Amino acid sequence: MRLRPFELVEPETLADALAALARLDGEARLIAGGTALVPMLRLGLVKPERLISLHRLPALAEIRTDDGTLRLGAIATLADIERARAVREGWPLLAEAVHRVASPAIRTSGTIGGNLCYAEAASDPAPALLCLEAEVRVAGPAGERSVPVTGFFRGFYETALEPGELVTAVRIPAVPAGALSGYVKFTPRSAEDKPLVGVAALITLDTAGRCAEARIGLAGAAPTPIRAHRAEMVLRGEAPSDTTVRAAAEAAAREAEPLSDLMGSADYRREMIRVWVRRLLVAMRDGTHRAEPNQD
Amino acid sequence: MTLTFVLNGHPCTAEAPAHWTVLDLLRDGLSLTGTKDGCGEGVCGTCTVLADGRPIRACLVLAAHVRGRALVTVEGLETDGRLDPLQTAFAERGAAQCGFCTPGMLLAAKALLTEDPAPTAQEVREALSGNLCRCTGYAKIVEAVLAAAPGRS
Repeated sequence: MRLRPFELVEPETLADALAALARLDGEARLIAGGTALVPMLRLGLVKPERLISLHRLPALAEIRTDDGTLRLGAIATLADIERARAVREGWPLLAEAVHRVASPAIRTSGTIGGNLCYAEAASDPAPALLCLEAEVRVAGPAGERSVPVTGFFRGFYETALEPGELVTAVRIPAVPAGALSGYVKFTPRSAEDKPLVGVAALITLDTAGRCAEARIGLAGAAPTPIRAHRAEMVLRGEAPSDTTVRAAAEAAAREAEPLSDLMGSADYRREMIRVWVRRLLVAMRDGTHRAEPNQD
Repeated sequence: MTLTFVLNGHPCTAEAPAHWTVLDLLRDGLSLTGTKDGCGEGVCGTCTVLADGRPIRACLVLAAHVRGRALVTVEGLETDGRLDPLQTAFAERGAAQCGFCTPGMLLAAKALLTEDPAPTAQEVREALSGNLCRCTGYAKIVEAVLAAAPGRS
């Protein structure tokens, strides 16, 4: 089945892309890899008259580090991010979570900016970006601004982008020294599915073995990806004993506000959050967490 | 829209409307029907082709996005009339039943073996995780890919 016809605008500068977005606002959609938008076009969920493609803006695909900060251009592909040595060595949590997205061919085309802008609650990269305290760089008619990723997801498939704005990059600060981190994805169907729940965590331990830093990001736990703040508070200042980890997992399950859908009910999701937060924290603590291959 | 790219090793210029995907371009524009039209939403993997050596879903990528890139379809796997070792291994090991998923399987496997000539069985399964076979299962497909891996002997 063909896509409904549209006009394709292919700007070659960011300024032209913003001008096109301003001129066509309301009737145009941005497209990068197309892995989220093309199925929506095919199903008729969106019927734009025009698409503005970002694929002729190679500067937006750049992956680089500046003074210890990782900068991912908005159209950097998930495949390039998971392979980039700087990411694997400096931000292994991100490499691990990105590697779990769908299947290899989807990651060849799918982009980090597209993943953020789609604002899927069951996103693999989002919980990792939340834990890594990433910052979303946005350009628009009023110039550029930064949005912490913790404030980027505003509601069910809703972001903080204003009309005429687009994401140009994601900036990720250096990971705290000695941090332990990991991502687990639970899918009751096939491994390449989106997560029923996804859990990312990053902790640092002080010299007495207590959690100095504790960050937990959850996918599939609410209408948007979220940080599990109450669970983090349970961990901070405490050694990650079995009892503390269990209490943190319980707090995460309680603060989650999951939705029911065809993949699973809200109650089932809540239970799985309890299980997977606990398992991940225990495995990180014991040094037994391994970046899982994309197969359960 | 005029598109210039490399197709199966040869320069190619083709006309395509803006709303065509790579799958429309290959099957309807260029009559290369080896690439199969399955789910149309990127899930089944039958339309997998290579772009600059990496697997893509032809049904999800706009034709405009292949400008300047090198595409390989199942028609381009053979060299001088000789089948690719993957194709030979699939045939010899019975790694196909109805054959509908086979072109996508071959190209997903080709991308893997190009990047890693000696993958483990687990890595093969992971590389093929987005390619569905509804006939017969995956054991013979994984065996065939391992048998064709140049770094394993």
